[in-house]
Amino acid sequence: MVSIAEEAELNRLETQVDNGGGGAWEYLCLVRKLKVRRSHKVLNYGLSILNDSRKRSGLGQEEWTLYEQVTIAALDCQAIDVAKDCIKVLQKKFPQSKRVGRLEAMLLEAKGLWAEAEKAYASLLEENPCDQIVHKRRVALAKAQGNIAGAIEWLNKYLETFMADHDAWRELAELYISLQMYKQAVFCYEELILSQPTVPLFHLAYADVLYTLGGLENLQTAKKYYASTIDLTGGKNTKALFGICLCTSAISQLTRGRSKEDKEGPELQSLAATALEKDYKQRAPQKLSLLSSVLKGLKVSP
Amino acid sequence: MAEDLVLDTAIRDWVLIPLSVVMVLIGVLRYFVSKLMRSSPVPDAKVVREGQIVLRARNLRSAANFIPHKSFRSRRVYYGNEENGLLYVPKGQAQNAQAQMFSDPNMAMDMMKKNLSMIIPQTLTFAWVNFFFSGFVAAKIPFPLTQRFRSMLQNGIDLSTVDVSYVSSRSWYFLNLFGLRGLFSLILGEENAMDDTQRMMQMSGFGMDPTKGLSAEKDNLDIVQHEWILPKFEHRAEAVLRKIVS
Repeated sequence: MVSIAEEAELNRLETQVDNGGGGAWEYLCLVRKLKVRRSHKVLNYGLSILNDSRKRSGLGQEEWTLYEQVTIAALDCQAIDVAKDCIKVLQKKFPQSKRVGRLEAMLLEAKGLWAEAEKAYASLLEENPCDQIVHKRRVALAKAQGNIAGAIEWLNKYLETFMADHDAWRELAELYISLQMYKQAVFCYEELILSQPTVPLFHLAYADVLYTLGGLENLQTAKKYYASTIDLTGGKNTKALFGICLCTSAISQLTRGRSKEDKEGPELQSLAATALEKDYKQRAPQKLSLLSSVLKGLKVSP
Repeated sequence: MAEDLVLDTAIRDWVLIPLSVVMVLIGVLRYFVSKLMRSSPVPDAKVVREGQIVLRARNLRSAANFIPHKSFRSRRVYYGNEENGLLYVPKGQAQNAQAQMFSDPNMAMDMMKKNLSMIIPQTLTFAWVNFFFSGFVAAKIPFPLTQRFRSMLQNGIDLSTVDVSYVSSRSWYFLNLFGLRGLFSLILGEENAMDDTQRMMQMSGFGMDPTKGLSAEKDNLDIVQHEWILPKFEHRAEAVLRKIVS
């Protein structure tokens, strides 16, 4: 993930380059390091370096890395001709390289020749079964064709070996949610929480899925994870505040008539509601009436 | 008598400098030869997978308290059960490292290549130095040294009366052999710092048994006490909200 300081640095460099202030190469390096997707800019500035033979030779060995970066950006922008030219140059320099083979397969993919691309990836994997990027491309390929079930299958196969790759778990969780397979998604989010226990986003997503699943036990758990999100974000996450309200009212509906009552519940809920109202008053006063009607609907009094 | 020894300038021109130059050239040559012979190691899928399993199990152990009790228990069974658990290693399968090394011809081949590129040039140069330049003094260092340095600096000269600050040609060879490492990393880049000590480490790293890591991790996981900390978070969230509201 990109930290705030890194993103600020990136944006600073970007505006500098946009205004013709130089530093294009540093910008491209940073984009590559942070793995952010700004393909149009990369294509523009990368090409301007590559077309200038003096600047290009100044890069030394890095020149080929830049070629690769520009190729991928060009594929992303559907600039097939540019990508083709770059791949041609790379192939001349590195014949029989697997890394160039990967780019060729991606070119097929960008053209929409799914079957050919699939075949190319399969042969690449046969040569080197540990190539993570090719595995992931295959998942993306299935996803691009709208074959979510296939994507899940490939991703599961990938995770069988590379099971500590939390980005892959996150992707899998989102795929499962898009197919409404919430129980499987719950497992993925648990994995994510295990690998990065202090990232509030995962707590929030986990709670969302649990709330969607429903049932008393799941609701109570969801409420706890909303609470932990509040704690980890310092109460700044509006979604978590709403989540607390929704969970508590859903729990009270389920437990109505039973004498045993969650003691902590009402207080946390009213606190969350008050915090929400305060937040809305500050940032969106015209929507305050909307909020209070929603909260009334949930039988929550701040 | 030590004062009387005068070294011929021809010795400098025909022994000292050629010897050093040859040592440097051989070092460079060896670097390129070993670069040519080096086969890029293809990671074995099984080894990668085992590493990832250990990593994931370690994550589970350290963050166990963040997931509900039920989820933790099911995971522990998933990792550690005796039928097909990820961390469970059947008794017979834990082959020892030695056997593994021999079963993989690639590994032995790699090691041989490395050793060959190391030993052959060394023996050859040593023989060459011995044949042409043995038994005379090649240089003088500008400061006096104690007797203990005699075996280091006057290898090949069996005279106890020569002052220790004179260096024999064979010793000069040894000094170059071990002392040029800094120069190499300067000319060939840092990656050349592949010296003897590292080589030794690599060899001992060979013997590490990956299955040992798995079963150790399993034992660690078995003794983890699970205590869900999320209920505590509710109180903390309350405190946070109270601070905001007030």
